[in-house]
Amino acid sequence: MPQLDIFLENLKISVGMFIPEFVLTATFILAILFDLIFKKSRNISGYVALLGFIVTGIFLYLQVGTNYRAFADLLVIDGFANFFKFLILITSILVVLMSLFSKELYTEHRKLGEYYSMIAGMTFGMFLLCGASNLVMIYLAIETMSISSYILAGYTKEVKRASEASLKYVIFGAISSGIMIFGISLIFGLTGHLNLFEINKFLATNDVNIFALGVSSLMIVAGFGYKISAVPFHFWTPDVYEGAPITITAYLSVASKAAGFAVLLRFLKVTFIDSIPGSDSIWTTLSGIDWNFVIAVLSVLTMTLGNLVAVWNTNLKRRLAYSSIAYAGYLLMGVAVLDDTGAASVLIYFFVYMLMNLGAFYIVMLIANKIGSEDIEDYNGLGYRAPVLGVCMTLFLISLTGLPPTAGFIGKLFVFSAVINAGYLWLAVIGVLNSVVSLYYYVKIFKNMYLKDVESQKPALEYSAPAIILLMVFAIPTLVFGIFYGPIVDWANNSVHIFLGH
Amino acid sequence: MDIFSIVFYLFAVIIVVSAAIVVMSKNIMYSAFSLLFTFFGVAGIYVLLNADFIAVTQIMIYIGGILILIIFGVMLTSRITGVDIKSGTTGKVQIAFAGVISLVIAITLIFLFANTKWFTSELKPHQSTIEDIGKELLTNYLLAFEVASVLLLIAIIGAAFIARRKS
Repeated sequence: MPQLDIFLENLKISVGMFIPEFVLTATFILAILFDLIFKKSRNISGYVALLGFIVTGIFLYLQVGTNYRAFADLLVIDGFANFFKFLILITSILVVLMSLFSKELYTEHRKLGEYYSMIAGMTFGMFLLCGASNLVMIYLAIETMSISSYILAGYTKEVKRASEASLKYVIFGAISSGIMIFGISLIFGLTGHLNLFEINKFLATNDVNIFALGVSSLMIVAGFGYKISAVPFHFWTPDVYEGAPITITAYLSVASKAAGFAVLLRFLKVTFIDSIPGSDSIWTTLSGIDWNFVIAVLSVLTMTLGNLVAVWNTNLKRRLAYSSIAYAGYLLMGVAVLDDTGAASVLIYFFVYMLMNLGAFYIVMLIANKIGSEDIEDYNGLGYRAPVLGVCMTLFLISLTGLPPTAGFIGKLFVFSAVINAGYLWLAVIGVLNSVVSLYYYVKIFKNMYLKDVESQKPALEYSAPAIILLMVFAIPTLVFGIFYGPIVDWANNSVHIFLGH
Repeated sequence: MDIFSIVFYLFAVIIVVSAAIVVMSKNIMYSAFSLLFTFFGVAGIYVLLNADFIAVTQIMIYIGGILILIIFGVMLTSRITGVDIKSGTTGKVQIAFAGVISLVIAITLIFLFANTKWFTSELKPHQSTIEDIGKELLTNYLLAFEVASVLLLIAIIGAAFIARRKS
């Protein structure tokens, strides 16, 4: 059977390229096992997870530069997937480190074995999503990631709002994956293929009913939109972000969004873009759907709603949740351009967003550890009670607004210039107006920290040295990459080519 | 009307009517039992489509497993059986809004299904699909098959975590 021989040969290579994911699966299982064996230590599975992530990182590094369609096209290994995998892995490591300092997780003798193990499981799902290029695989990867995140969102079971968050997340998640799989079945009915490359070939050579194709692919995009919390699929975001433990909120707002953007970009590029060799940097759409316009509209809705609603919220976690919705809008702006510059700007912005957003959530967590509140009024005078945190928070907020000399400015600069280069001036104008709105509600936070309750008699907040060192891990790069951004830009530009296999 | 259409419409009516009862019934036991007929009707449609393996799986897993679990869950949780499900809390505006959206979606889908030229495979219908499904799962879809097992493991651990009593 020659066919089987080819398959086995292919399988051998594929398995070799699957080592990072194997390590993650092992981490997932070992974290649980170590938790069972060493009952005394609550941190042990956290350390196992950290070790596992670092080993994964090493194997991932060895894969840089490979392009391969593995497992009969179910999974693609390329620079694009690699970039997002690194991003997700770094986020996972940072979130595990953050969790070690979290007070809300370490109360009431809570066992944390499942917590760290679920983070590893979720990372596994997101890794698959970055490379998935078959609709079945995309669906499975989204489910793997979702199910772990439902559990993580409700991990503090005794807190009512956490259970509520988890339940809402499950219900919205079930609906959106139902819509998505309906879309997948319609696409299968239209083209007879589930493999994105084959669908692309079919669209290039056959006439397909545009209406049916549009509806079905919009349904699939709705599934991704739910993951990246784009309006109008964002309803779960504020409640889940507010209710979940802060570490998980931070994790969801960065890692699961990254995976969502990775799969959205890959789905659009591989399925709907003409794949003639050599036309790599200019993307020509195959079908009659005006994807630029669809994504641009999504982007405008997302950032406007996110920013406007954020103004009214006084809970900082909720405010950051809306601001992360707005961020999905800015990032979608880069996607809407549908060319390599736009995609590269998304990658650059995501890297920056990871640092500043995780940093901001980390500070919210540190402060909540001491004062037990995330309300913005309780931040009065905190700039004097905890000077280091105050300065770093100001830095992250300036960066989130997108002002120099922080990394956030660089990210925004690249996205806006990509949008303007592609001739979408109106989109860039809306983006800038939105940034002005965001400036208002970010400033309000550090106004409370520095200008209110100045003569406070409340005691200063003390933090341990490791907690401050971890804070520096977020703060210093946010500042450094604002000035010295060459490496990220180069890395993003090298990673942007989605491997099409010719 | 040929025999195929008659059988199809029979099952379709069973599915739609019983699904409506699932949603609208105020007694949770009635809902659970009419879910049985929904699942059964879907299995019938699968048989009609020559998907023998999926039809058997549908009966074994959904009717044999999930539905029994739901009914046992309802019966063992004595507090649920007596409680009427409240559905009167939603306002009129929401109902109107939801109705309009559902109507638009329904019209879109009907239009879509009626006007589209669907892909038709050249393959002849098989006697049995099990052999092909087995081959595909262990070759072309090997990774999906394995990932599904990890997914289930995650779900089991998560479910155990949620169900665990506070220590």
